[in-house]
Amino acid sequence: MTEQIVFYLLAAVILLSALGVVLLPTLMHSALALGLCLAGVAGIFASLGSDFVFAAQILVFVGGIAVLILFVVLLAGSVSDRATRQVNAQWLPSLLICGLFLWAFLKIPVYFAGITARTAAAPTVKALAGLLLGEYAVPFELISVVLLASMTGAVLFGRRKAQ
Amino acid sequence: MTLSHYLALSGILFAIGIFGVLTRRNIIGILMSIELMLNATNINFVAFNRFLYPGRYEGHLTVIFVITLAAAEVVVGLALVMAIYKNLKSVYAEDYNILKG
Repeated sequence: MTEQIVFYLLAAVILLSALGVVLLPTLMHSALALGLCLAGVAGIFASLGSDFVFAAQILVFVGGIAVLILFVVLLAGSVSDRATRQVNAQWLPSLLICGLFLWAFLKIPVYFAGITARTAAAPTVKALAGLLLGEYAVPFELISVVLLASMTGAVLFGRRKAQ
Repeated sequence: MTLSHYLALSGILFAIGIFGVLTRRNIIGILMSIELMLNATNINFVAFNRFLYPGRYEGHLTVIFVITLAAAEVVVGLALVMAIYKNLKSVYAEDYNILKG
């Protein structure tokens, strides 16, 4: 019973704040709603018993990406943004496309109806560390190269042009 | 809770993200909607791992990689947005028509 209450509360938080991200007219508000939505997804990870992914989601998404987006919203906005339309004129075709996707996505759960978790959730950190430093060591190192490249790219694009 | 609940949640979240990508004019708003879609896929990965493959951890591992790549993508994307904003003084996607083919 508690599991159901937690799931539906988290789902309500996630979906309402996701609608806020998409629909709110002020970008600052939608950035804050994005933070709430990412925290809700972290709660879903916790309810699925994946502790390390929960921690990484909080650290990277809520603590890093949401704050970074918030900074850029504050830096790159102007006062006139509050008066201009924030959505384009194509909302009706977009709604149709989105409805098509939603119809397709809600067909998929039918095939997996009634599957419940057979085992209790167990700590995952040790097994993940074994995989990352054993079988998946090469992708792990490649990811660090990608991070280095993105850091270099951010510095390159972000620096002031030499006159 | 069954697997279907989590799949339905992630499907709805993905559809909301698609709507945001298609309708937002602000480039930062489009980036935020892309983050929503990435999170929807992450829920799917973890849910399938939990319900169909207990005792294996590849789903969690993929989510770790996706989170890392999302961070890299956002860093580069926002640096590009700031660089273009310095030149064009606009955050709206329809003003970003300066690529020379």
